[in-house]
Amino acid sequence: MSIRVTNLAFAFPKFSLRVKELAFESAKVTAIVGPNGAGKTTFLKCVGAVLPTAKGSLFIDGRDLAALKSRERARLVCYVPQEHDTTFNYSVSDFVLMGRAAYISAFALPSQEDTRAAAEALDFVGLTGYADRAISEISSGERRLVLIARALAQQSDILLMDEPTTFLDPKHETEVLQLVRKLAVEKMKTILVTLHSLEMAVQHSDQMVFMKRGEVVAHGKSADVFQESLLESVYDMKMKIIDWEGRKIVLR
Amino acid sequence: MISTVFAFILSVGPLFSDQDKAIKDNLRRTVTVPARVERILSLQPEITRILLALGASDRLVGIDYFISRDDHLFKILFPGGARLPVVSMPDESVNKELIARLDPDIIFTSPTELQVPDSIQRSLGIPVVALASMGSFDGLLEEIELVGAMTGLEERARELGRYFREKIRSITECTRPLALEDRPRTYLAFWSSLVRTPVFYEPVQAAGGRNVADNLLPSRLGTIGTVISVEQILKWDPDVILIQGSFLPRERQVTVEGVLEDKRLGSVKAIKQRRVHYTLGFWYWWDPAGVLVETLYLAGLFHPEKFGRLDLEKEGNAIYKKFYGKTDVFTDLIKSLDFHEWTK
Amino acid sequence: MSGQNNRRPKGLAVFILILPLFLLLISLSIGSYGISPRGLFKTVFSVVSPASHPDVPAAYRDILLRIRLPRVLLAMAVGAALSVSGASLQALFKNPLVNEYILGISSGAAFGAALSLVFLGRAFPPQVGGFVFGVVAVGAVLLISGKAESHFISLLLTGIIVTAFFSALLSLVEFFASPYVLQALFFWLMGSLSLASWKDLYISLPLIAVGLVILYLLRWRLNVLSMSDEEARSLGVNVRREKMLVIAATTLITAAATAIVGIIGWLGFIVPHLVRMMFGADNRRVVPLSAAMGASIMMIADDIIRGLSSFEIPIGIFTSLVGIPIFLVLLKKTRKVWL
Repeated sequence: MSIRVTNLAFAFPKFSLRVKELAFESAKVTAIVGPNGAGKTTFLKCVGAVLPTAKGSLFIDGRDLAALKSRERARLVCYVPQEHDTTFNYSVSDFVLMGRAAYISAFALPSQEDTRAAAEALDFVGLTGYADRAISEISSGERRLVLIARALAQQSDILLMDEPTTFLDPKHETEVLQLVRKLAVEKMKTILVTLHSLEMAVQHSDQMVFMKRGEVVAHGKSADVFQESLLESVYDMKMKIIDWEGRKIVLR
Repeated sequence: MISTVFAFILSVGPLFSDQDKAIKDNLRRTVTVPARVERILSLQPEITRILLALGASDRLVGIDYFISRDDHLFKILFPGGARLPVVSMPDESVNKELIARLDPDIIFTSPTELQVPDSIQRSLGIPVVALASMGSFDGLLEEIELVGAMTGLEERARELGRYFREKIRSITECTRPLALEDRPRTYLAFWSSLVRTPVFYEPVQAAGGRNVADNLLPSRLGTIGTVISVEQILKWDPDVILIQGSFLPRERQVTVEGVLEDKRLGSVKAIKQRRVHYTLGFWYWWDPAGVLVETLYLAGLFHPEKFGRLDLEKEGNAIYKKFYGKTDVFTDLIKSLDFHEWTK
Repeated sequence: MSGQNNRRPKGLAVFILILPLFLLLISLSIGSYGISPRGLFKTVFSVVSPASHPDVPAAYRDILLRIRLPRVLLAMAVGAALSVSGASLQALFKNPLVNEYILGISSGAAFGAALSLVFLGRAFPPQVGGFVFGVVAVGAVLLISGKAESHFISLLLTGIIVTAFFSALLSLVEFFASPYVLQALFFWLMGSLSLASWKDLYISLPLIAVGLVILYLLRWRLNVLSMSDEEARSLGVNVRREKMLVIAATTLITAAATAIVGIIGWLGFIVPHLVRMMFGADNRRVVPLSAAMGASIMMIADDIIRGLSSFEIPIGIFTSLVGIPIFLVLLKKTRKVWL
């Protein structure tokens, strides 16, 4: 499931996003990094059709995303927000079940197959025992996993995850990113993640995209593109990359 | 020293004895009013009509919206009334600044407007009396007496009182001896609704009938009406149903035809015997002449064998002439309300 | 309430769903006329086969069929309508503080009824004007908030503004019109079933039924629509279209209910809360249970009014008196504020 971006543009009152040409390979994890306000979330939302974009700027497997109906689009691509506001206290299983919305018509109820898909998704993230718990009663780390489970239940081949690790403790951070890797490898999903942590990004992704002020500054294989000079120009500060036992550490 | 104090007390004493009196109004308020008034603001149409009948219309400094706009007869009875300032509006708001400018000695309001009297009295310090007949002849007669005393027109007030009592007596001497079973049980559908009824309406009693709702309490202080259910009407099973007909025909929400055709009421005696009629009812309380005519009309309705010979139009005009000094007033009312239909 | 969301006694849910039927039977035997249960049975049989009980007074039949039955059915329909409407709009606005009048229906309907009374007089029952302007008010809200579909807060604010606007218009009508003409508006604004008859039901019942069916079918979808607009869109839902559908259905049933019985507060707010407290937030349960519970509360409130005395108290007072204590008791038991 390849993604091709051509002249994608989106304008806010004080900020505009302009991405000229970008392609993402299937079954790979791409980390999108950059300073605050670079447009990472906006970009993700555009690809996820959460923000409206012009026709001819986004192609999934050759199909124009803007021309697709909501249901078709949702079966292809899924945007996973960072957090969920728990106004209504759904159970975890009911919450994950919502991921099946693209497969259920407006006036219908979830079928057995839908329930099964939701249960499997929950199982994949390791939270089967939590099925009957209320969504506001689990920790925020667990809630992230539930959001991912819902995205899984949606069975779209492309997952767009907006800062899935922010505010998580190191253990949960790693868990989530390992899960992401697992999704790409086992489920052949094409995954885009926005991350703040450069070290996590380079360690857990195949490709990286650097953004600054609404534009893509660099992209390519993580190992290749992760250079000090690039980091300095993107973040406007001196950085040093240290290799330690195959892992990269960034010093500021 | 003591003689100075004495003289002071003697001079001050009369200041309190015949200048003011205390009245208890229909909202259970005690108000101190001047013994004589020259400038009257009447926001109560019933009182305004009484002032006209007493010949005290020159004392009116202001009126309310209802009598100026919706009353059927005011323009005929008091053409000069068009020049009087209208001080209140339908939503119970009053123009306090205008009141201050008009500087009345007393203000009359309707007890149905609970907040108005205290609100005005608090702001302007002018005595406000909430007065109405509350559906009773005695209440009406007391009003006439009170207003007569305050305007110095006691003679005229007594004359009207006598006339009123005479006319009523001419009816009640025939109806009082009636046994209970001979008095038609009557349900009154007033105020544009089948289920709103007055708990006290003396004309019905005086005319030889019985108000089925007379054991109920009014829905709140200051009003005479209550709300019942359609089922209650069936339970009462009245012999006669009277509908408030003082609404102009095109404005009537409840009509005789409508009630006769109402399938829910099919088992009620009044419907079966087609004894469903209009009556004058309240039109923002009473017109003293109107309620006399109404009582005659109802007497003819309930007991045609005793009162059927009455020429209601002639009697009505005579009554209105007695009260207001104008001829053919009742004929005008008959025309506006399609009264001829009532007595078919 | 962990572990209980899905396991709440199914028995209780079934009980609540059947309750309206029981209450229907009980309610038919309550009223100021005082028909004994035996008399009631005879009346029912005489309706089915008139020859079997010729001695049943015509009054009994009239009371049962023309007075009590339409009134109780109306209570059921209105109770269900307002509760489901409130539940759906709470989900749509992602706000448990929302009630079914949030989009301006109540003030639009009140103004429409007043306008009808003043200008059209007796020819038109004020209910028609009430319904029309209830819908107009919502239409105005949707039109004004326009394309700002992703800012549901603007829908709320616009609703508040439109409500205020129609209230002002109503005050204007009240200011100038004769209160005697507006007397008929009196009950209606207080909320009353006292004049319920089959005529009222012929039109309002089908409208309410249509709206309820739509919302019942959409009950799972409401879960999805209760997510943020971003999430809902990402889940593959045509947010704008489906929101319009929900709003249309709720407007239909609320305007139809309000046009007949006036403004009855609290029901659409409390009942969904009660249901969520007891059974969780899943709208597959909340919608049908809100309908059943709303119908039940309405019938109980009306039974109290009819049974207590021969005079009528506005039903809005009773729905609060019945609903609020239940709400508080449950609040204490679960010790939760949000749902």
